Amino acid sequence: MKVLINKPGCVGHARCSNVAPALYPLDDNGYIASSGFNVPAGQENLALRGARACPERVIQIRDTSTEPR
Amino acid sequence: MNHPDEASTPVPAHIPMHLVRDFDLWAELTAQGENAYAWAAALHQTTPPIFWIPRLGFLPGTWVPRRAEDLRRILQDPQTFSSVGLTPYAMLLGESWRLAPLEIDPPEHGKYRALLNPLFTPKKVEALEQDIRLLANQLIDEVITQGRCDFNEAFAKPFPTLIFLTLMGWPLEDRPLFQHWTQTLIKSFDLQTVTDNARAITSWIRNHIAERRANPGDDFTSYLLNSEIDGRPLTDDEMLGINFLIFIAGLDTVTSCLGLFFRHLARNPEQQAQLRANPELIGDAVEELLRSYSIVNMRRTVTCDVQFGDVMMKKGDMVLISTELANLDPEVFDAPAKVDFQRSAGASPHMAFSYGVHRCVGSHLARRELRIAMELWLQRLPAFRIADNSTPRFNAFGVFGMEDLHLQWDLPAATAETSNKQAASA
Repeated sequence: MKVLINKPGCVGHARCSNVAPALYPLDDNGYIASSGFNVPAGQENLALRGARACPERVIQIRDTSTEPR
Repeated sequence: MNHPDEASTPVPAHIPMHLVRDFDLWAELTAQGENAYAWAAALHQTTPPIFWIPRLGFLPGTWVPRRAEDLRRILQDPQTFSSVGLTPYAMLLGESWRLAPLEIDPPEHGKYRALLNPLFTPKKVEALEQDIRLLANQLIDEVITQGRCDFNEAFAKPFPTLIFLTLMGWPLEDRPLFQHWTQTLIKSFDLQTVTDNARAITSWIRNHIAERRANPGDDFTSYLLNSEIDGRPLTDDEMLGINFLIFIAGLDTVTSCLGLFFRHLARNPEQQAQLRANPELIGDAVEELLRSYSIVNMRRTVTCDVQFGDVMMKKGDMVLISTELANLDPEVFDAPAKVDFQRSAGASPHMAFSYGVHRCVGSHLARRELRIAMELWLQRLPAFRIADNSTPRFNAFGVFGMEDLHLQWDLPAATAETSNKQAASA
């Protein structure tokens, strides 16, 4: 599973980081510090919840078809 | 209604009559009182997705999009829907400073926003946790043995004001002054009162800027004095605009949320019990209450003729951004009028802090203040209710909120005795 983040679309709600701080680190402005990553095994659900928490919908999940929803 | 300036503006020719709803949204919400949010939720069944109202308080007619999805598209498109020049304060004073970054569009917006972002990150707010808890506990100490309090005066107003003054590095003894200004500036409908208070606030801020220019400290104003935009220091007007914005954005909003949240808890003892038994739910409860009782209405100006959904909007039209309608949209939330702390609101986005580049910069601080207030009140007090012989009033002019909110709770026998003795010996 892969997370893709449209970083310029981030406006700093930080809800992803609130759900999963280790997966979604913030920069010194409180905006997302990552533009994407491969989700470590076992953390798929957490990554998914973090993505869904984004009010701007700038976080996309790839390869979800193989994951339980 | 009791509104002095109630007068509809003529419906512009390009607006089809079938899209006109002849009511003032704020006046109707206020008239609905404690039923306001259920009434707002029902609008989703009775109005077109985007309708026109000919008046809104003292403001002229405006489009009202009610669907969360439409409001999202508007807020994420500042080129078409501009934030420039929508509050009257500088104009009332015959001045020309701007509320930055709130009333500045991208790309210029980003330069001002960059100054504020580092001050209000989740990390910075985390570092304030103990200070915020201390202030909340001190305010609760003052009322806990009384069995009853005027919630706004005892807590909802002083709590965010004290945090704000602490954060700004401004004198705490000026708290009554700031509370007075907050109420008169945002809640008054008398233009002279608003003007007089805007003048008093801007004078206070200008004096403080001059003082800090002479004697730099580690406060917010000193930080701005040391900041640059495009490689130059900020002008006094820019300094004023930013300070004024922080003032109007940070004080009344948290007060209003606290009033609505605590009214809800006072009316719903079973949900108080739920949170007392499961304090780990309080974070989700804050999100659900932010969703259920959204308090901010903003506006945007249409910058070019645009077909939006079924509606033709013309350049210059106003568009209302009603956070409460977005957050009560049944397309997004099942049974939206129901307050359900287990809706897992913590991970389902709502619009209480807006969307797009103008997202509330204080959102993390506001969430923290609200969570701590609920934690400590629920932890330290027994079940509280609306006080006997009192009637809370909902007010939807300007920022929505509660007035005359008096809370009451039963004192443990021993505490009652102590406080009686204190009263007797006083």
